[in-house]
Amino acid sequence: MISAFFYESFYLGLRTLRRFFRVPANWIGIILFPLIQLFVFSQLFKDIIQLPGFRASGSGSYLAYLAPGQIAFTAFFAVAWSGSAILVEYRNGYMDKLRATPIHRLSILAGELAPLFIESAIMAGGILVLSVILGASINTGVVGALLILVLSGLFGMAWAGTSFVPALLTKSEQATGTLSLLFFPVAFMSTAFVPPSLMPAWLQTVNAWNPITFLIEAIRPLMVSGYDWGAIGKALLAIGVMGAVLQTATLWAFRRLTA
Amino acid sequence: MASAVIEVDDLVKVYSGGTRAVDGITFRIEPGELFGFLGPNGAGKTTTIRILATLLRATSGRARLAGFDVETQAADVRRSLGLAMQTPTLDAFATGRENIELIGRLHRVRGAELKRRADELLELMGLTDVARKLAGTYSGGMRRRLDLACALVHRPQVLILDEPTEGLDPQSRLALWEELERISRDGTTMLLTTHYMEEADRLCRRLAIIDNGRIVIEGSPAELKAGVGADTLILQLDARDPEDLARQQDDVRRVLIGFESMEALTPEGFGVSLAVRDAGRAIPELMRRLDRNGAGVHVVGLKIGQPSLDDVFLKYTGRRIRSEAANEPIILGW
Repeated sequence: MISAFFYESFYLGLRTLRRFFRVPANWIGIILFPLIQLFVFSQLFKDIIQLPGFRASGSGSYLAYLAPGQIAFTAFFAVAWSGSAILVEYRNGYMDKLRATPIHRLSILAGELAPLFIESAIMAGGILVLSVILGASINTGVVGALLILVLSGLFGMAWAGTSFVPALLTKSEQATGTLSLLFFPVAFMSTAFVPPSLMPAWLQTVNAWNPITFLIEAIRPLMVSGYDWGAIGKALLAIGVMGAVLQTATLWAFRRLTA
Repeated sequence: MASAVIEVDDLVKVYSGGTRAVDGITFRIEPGELFGFLGPNGAGKTTTIRILATLLRATSGRARLAGFDVETQAADVRRSLGLAMQTPTLDAFATGRENIELIGRLHRVRGAELKRRADELLELMGLTDVARKLAGTYSGGMRRRLDLACALVHRPQVLILDEPTEGLDPQSRLALWEELERISRDGTTMLLTTHYMEEADRLCRRLAIIDNGRIVIEGSPAELKAGVGADTLILQLDARDPEDLARQQDDVRRVLIGFESMEALTPEGFGVSLAVRDAGRAIPELMRRLDRNGAGVHVVGLKIGQPSLDDVFLKYTGRRIRSEAANEPIILGW
């Protein structure tokens, strides 16, 4: 039973990965926006690093401050529209084709969600490499870099619920795309651009609950200083709680759709 | 009688909106049969198929496939079933071979056997040359054949095909018919739906005409056509204008009063079409009558047609199937 579930999810997941990586527009579209922000803002606001709040983060340059945020953004973008794919296949009948085979129904959902770990990690890794090329550094070396990818991947998999739930409930690609946009402010209000000490009080409160901020604050020390296990623990907890809530909702919506 | 491969008893499906898509359907398909559902779109064919394929729950009634109940033994039903829906459903970003292999894997066809089976099916469907190309680049006919290959990969006991040649050009349709006949000869039990008369006539050994969620008549194509009784006799008339045509049609009607072999007379754009019993023998009498009293009738052509499934459909439903076709509802999301 369990092994059947893994067998089915594995092959369905391979298919999902193929579907993602065989369309260059998918990964170019995801990487391009964070890359532009990284490239342009790191020069445009170069001197913002002189402000006192930045020094506390340990970043030597604005590029170094900016890079962790853009890595998190990439994981965010990688899954922002992830629910559309399952919707397309629900509409065109491919999901019915899968449902008419002797597999566990949830394997179909797992085959969509699990690959998002790899997609988000690889996309985030792309920006990590590009930021190093632009001049950022990774103080914790290869192990730290791998840790960044794992955190990004887990975040992507959990965050995907923000796209899957509207997709499965509305059954409309258009609605899914529009609703995804509603989550963008969450990313922009995070500590990706400015440390919390420079933010108005209400925004500091928002960021005490912002999962993206927790991810960024775990990645940043790994790049600019060293292992901050407290921050990593908080990020894992935030991702875990968010994932549990969002994926429970996704599961419910999926069961409702395929009942 | 427990040997039937598909057994459907008084199946009913009422959608949440209140539409009775399937309204008490009962039929059985014996092993190795090629059974057809003939009916216009919206008749309930696809709904019945979706229930049989475990994709939809029936409101009431019972359906068994390969001896398994579709409701309580869905996994066993799925193992026995190969399914190809109305529009080919393929993974556009996977190659032809990958498409076949994924469905095979989900049916637990593995390793060397899977590779051999994929090779065999690609060869069979004439897709070997394009096996490494993405399915998204395939033509309509190639997609159909790949879809069929996916449905066959696990050597299913039952093959269910919803409108298998919909949207194909005549040449591809003919090729697919030959393929389906071959699969049927190999012993696979098949259920297919169609709204093409020629298709039902050519492929199905037995068929059910379905309309408004009910089976109106069931039998072999020959039986059904014999049941219509009369042949069709077409009289082409040479008329100057519509009024003249109407006058001539009235004349024909008047001349044929009391003509015993005739069962019906339908005015048509080209003249009149008559339903006549044993038309070959009735023609001399028909000509005599026209000769004697039909001075204003200008017959320029005479054609005898055997009854077609079209006539069968007309007889049992009071409508022609063609005019009803292709009126699918558009499903709106929000």
